[in-house]
Amino acid sequence: MATETAVDVVMPQMGVSVSEGTITKWLKQKGEQVEADEPLLEISTDKVDTEVPAPASGTLTEILVQEGETVDVGTKLGQIGGGAAAPSGDGAAPEPQAPQPQAPPEPATQAAADASMAAASEGVGDVAPSEQAEPEPEPGRAAAAATSNGKTFVSPVVARIASEHGVDPNQVEGTGRGGRVTKKDILNYIESGTQAPPAAEPQPAPAPTPEPAPQPQAQAPPPQPEPAAAPAPPPPAEKPAAPPPPAAAPAHVQTGEQLEPMTAMRRGIAEHMRRSLDTAAHVTSAIEVDMSKVVEIRKKLKSEYESAYGVNPTYLVFVARAVVDTLRDYPWINGEIRGDKIVTRNYVNLGFAVELQDGKGLIVPVLKNVETLNLLGIAKGVTDIAQRARDKKLIPDEVQGGTFTITNPGGYGTFHGTPVISQPQAAILGTYAVVKRPWVVQDEVGNDVIAIRPIMNLTLTYDHRLVDGALAGRFLRDLRHRLETWDESAY
Amino acid sequence: MAELTYLQAISDGLRTEMRRDKRVFVIGEDVGVYGGAFKVTLGFQEEFGHWRVIDAPLAETAIVGACTGAAIMGMRPVAEMQFADFISCAWDQLVTVAAKQRWRAGTPVPMVVRLPSGGGFSGGPFHSQNPESSFAHIPGLKCVCPATPEDAKGLLISAIEDPNPVLYFEHKHLYRRIKAEVPEERYTVPIGKARVHQEGEDISVITWGAMVYTAEEAAKQLDDVSVEIVDLRTVMPWDKAAVLESVRKTSKVLVLHEDTRTGGFGAEIAATIAEEAFEDLDAPVKRIAAPDTPLPFSPPLEKALIPQVDDVVAGLRDLAEH
Amino acid sequence: MAIAREAEPVGSLREVRDAGLDREDLLQVYRNMVLTRGIEERGHILYRQGKIPGSFYTGRGNEAASVGVAAAMGPDDVGTPLHRDMGVHVTRGVEPWRIFAQYMGRVDGPTRGRDGNVHMADSKLGLIAMVSHLPAMLPVAVGAALAFRIREEKRVAVAWFGEGASARGDCHEGMTLAGVRKLPVVFVCDNNQWAYSTPTHLEYATEHVADRADAYGFEGIVVDGTDVLAVYREVKRAIEKARAGGGPTLIESLTLRMEGHAVHDDAFYVPKQMFEEWAKSDPLERFRTWLRENADMTDEEEDEIASEVKRTLNEALRRAEESPLPEAPQLLEGVYASPEDLDTPHHK
Repeated sequence: MATETAVDVVMPQMGVSVSEGTITKWLKQKGEQVEADEPLLEISTDKVDTEVPAPASGTLTEILVQEGETVDVGTKLGQIGGGAAAPSGDGAAPEPQAPQPQAPPEPATQAAADASMAAASEGVGDVAPSEQAEPEPEPGRAAAAATSNGKTFVSPVVARIASEHGVDPNQVEGTGRGGRVTKKDILNYIESGTQAPPAAEPQPAPAPTPEPAPQPQAQAPPPQPEPAAAPAPPPPAEKPAAPPPPAAAPAHVQTGEQLEPMTAMRRGIAEHMRRSLDTAAHVTSAIEVDMSKVVEIRKKLKSEYESAYGVNPTYLVFVARAVVDTLRDYPWINGEIRGDKIVTRNYVNLGFAVELQDGKGLIVPVLKNVETLNLLGIAKGVTDIAQRARDKKLIPDEVQGGTFTITNPGGYGTFHGTPVISQPQAAILGTYAVVKRPWVVQDEVGNDVIAIRPIMNLTLTYDHRLVDGALAGRFLRDLRHRLETWDESAY
Repeated sequence: MAELTYLQAISDGLRTEMRRDKRVFVIGEDVGVYGGAFKVTLGFQEEFGHWRVIDAPLAETAIVGACTGAAIMGMRPVAEMQFADFISCAWDQLVTVAAKQRWRAGTPVPMVVRLPSGGGFSGGPFHSQNPESSFAHIPGLKCVCPATPEDAKGLLISAIEDPNPVLYFEHKHLYRRIKAEVPEERYTVPIGKARVHQEGEDISVITWGAMVYTAEEAAKQLDDVSVEIVDLRTVMPWDKAAVLESVRKTSKVLVLHEDTRTGGFGAEIAATIAEEAFEDLDAPVKRIAAPDTPLPFSPPLEKALIPQVDDVVAGLRDLAEH
Repeated sequence: MAIAREAEPVGSLREVRDAGLDREDLLQVYRNMVLTRGIEERGHILYRQGKIPGSFYTGRGNEAASVGVAAAMGPDDVGTPLHRDMGVHVTRGVEPWRIFAQYMGRVDGPTRGRDGNVHMADSKLGLIAMVSHLPAMLPVAVGAALAFRIREEKRVAVAWFGEGASARGDCHEGMTLAGVRKLPVVFVCDNNQWAYSTPTHLEYATEHVADRADAYGFEGIVVDGTDVLAVYREVKRAIEKARAGGGPTLIESLTLRMEGHAVHDDAFYVPKQMFEEWAKSDPLERFRTWLRENADMTDEEEDEIASEVKRTLNEALRRAEESPLPEAPQLLEGVYASPEDLDTPHHK
């Protein structure tokens, strides 16, 4: 039975795992007549060598793969019958592996496509040119979705981010399907500054203004952003993943304003500060400490420590040493509220707030088991950990597990502050500048006289859920006593 | 390093262990003189002899049962099913005896069953299946599904070393198609650890076996979507932490497998993501899997059943636009 | 027409000595049979007292077969005894108190409460724990024999199955593999004539189960399972043949299951006269008589065995009842083996 229509000769599959075969010999030449089932060519595969019988009777009109060539299973090797040319029949030959060129993702309309192109070329997501601040008509898709039933689906991650940052998702321009706000949308919105919402919108109040205080423990150095906040380096505008309306949500900037991106660390600090204030009942008590004794001892130790150990016995070190001893008598201040239980410890892991990046970040390295360290040990530990914090060489473990924190903004001469507690700790101690002040003391015979004394203010900010004012007062009193009557031999 | 096919890497891993450890032996149908239906053990009988490369009668129950007994007696058997499909004949031995023996009687069963699985070449309903989820459901069994030659070797060695019955699913479609550099020395790939096949930012594809490559092809076609491909490598125990980490990063997930959909292992993954990463999701978890149908023989039907690159492209596109 | 060889009963003491048992051994065999029955009788009582959860199975009528086979095994031989083979556990040395603990689901049972009744084994004593799916252990025993063959060790595996389980494919596959490879395995069919309520003619169409052995290329033997010495002699011969490289043997031990399938089954379907007939050849009574007639077992010896078994049982029961029940968190332990678990004699 001769065939008029073209029949393909294909590389057969000689076993299920065989993916290719080599033509060892064509037994017929182009133009020759072949009978169905007579040997047409010989092939060799990983598993077997065999003859390929002609799939039909007719003229061998094409030889497409030459002897010695190796091709994938299913590849057309030649053709019997039909016209000479037509490279590919509609026959039984399996589709080539390569997929059809995929149509580009279609934007809903040509207009949207144009807009999308325009947006890409204009670099949306960078600091927006001021023209763009012109009020624009609401982007169609978002508006349509918003008006269709007054509700838009908020995905779980968007809901979480919105609640963490106090953002109303409805304020965010959505680029997802039907104008849905995607995770990227809300992250872009937050990154571009939450001050942006159009006028008259009630501003969700983020920026807490207390002075720098420890950031979350989870904030590992080098700044390791919490997972959800991880922003991909390229600005979102590089990826028009969905057909977006040109004016994306982010930056509404007024004349004279500058935008800069919020670093992951900054976001972490912001989130933690907010959460701490939302969690703990912050109360601050302050006390004045006559540091005469400490100043005197420090003067003695300073040169010894510096020459022998290369460390400086700062006032902070003395305070830390005294704090550790005092905490032993006040386990709740070294404790934590966990669920409906109170956690206390037989150790002290002391966090020290360290400023980074010219005031643009801070980190709280933790010195572990400080109860085992003497004054020199603490001095060494603080020096080491602060240096490595600034060099971003801390390991994650070194910023975790703190049980009490000391922050020392006194270097700039401040004499008071109300730091924010590092959650889930119970309190934070602020230390301030040592300044010479007129101080009423008693002379040898018991008369009040005014003397010049180096005075340091200390504040204890504590979580009133766990620590009451009287307890905090006693703690500060004892701490002061230790510092004022520094027992050199004990340390 | 030498460039090996996936199949050669399996042979290499097996040979490495047989040379190193006299307790390792191979038993299966046609594994000896013929070298196995896929030639994984070609030349093994010459090297290791008739009592370490054992041609078994056509009796899967006896093969797996004998491996169990030999393992309890201190051997390290490696059974070859000619096709993974035939493991149904030995279900009882694996599920009833081997899987429970350690827990029940304190007797470990360190054995491996090699399972040439997967379709894509007109193997029909009995030469193409992917039965991993059935066994992943059985406490006491481990299931590994390597996708790369390097993992094929390292996971096989780990499986042989492991003190439990390990089902080693080797995908037939990858046997000679996938080639890569494989270390010549002995090494292990830990069971239970996933591998990020390709990093990305926008969508996570969680998959294993041959579908890793389907996902890779699909990802290549989407210039504007950054796709992360997590190759699970081990289905039981599976690397939950790695999956959740990827999900937390991208917030959109496509779970892709060649096995049928209902009760496929992807369902477990999707459910776990919903339980443990709900607040990280920016779109519903999407599954792409074979429809709940036996595996057909005829090419267009088979193509319609096994997830294709285009299906994955469409799924990724849909998630990207969500 | 039967193909298998039908074994003769054992006659004189000399014949027994030829088979390798001296008088001391014989008394020990008897003691193990008495203890086996005692354990199961106590178990039966415990079950009726509500102290044993689940179900309870005994091997009454099979004491000679189980003890006889176990007595023929060498110390390094292994086996997969079933739920009628308590005598194997007893003979291999499993302590009775641990058996009671197993019955009662206590932590000191060999399976620590994870499995019940006779689903247990002490691997240190060369036993592999059975599963309910019969005869799934048969290919496993073949595998143990395969390990011995690969390592060229002179050890033998004994694989038990029942005439009911002989219908299943595992039996065929295991015997096929053992036959073609001439593996050192002895198949023991506890033919107690009833697969739950199904009689033998609905389970197999040959005269004997052992007739099938010929088809697998090895010898089949039928032996009276109430005659402990005949069982011992035939199994001993088969084990030594296997040890010498002569391949498998199938020994069919014919008994009657003297109780229901389990305690909850009154076996109404077994004809009364069948029970009456078989009661006449109760294995314990039969061996006791033989010992008195052929080995001069004295009243004192008999009493001493009886009272020692009683003491053992009382003590075992007391100790088992002191064993705690497992606690819920223990449930999750050991689903997967860890490398240290391989630190056993078998895996060295």
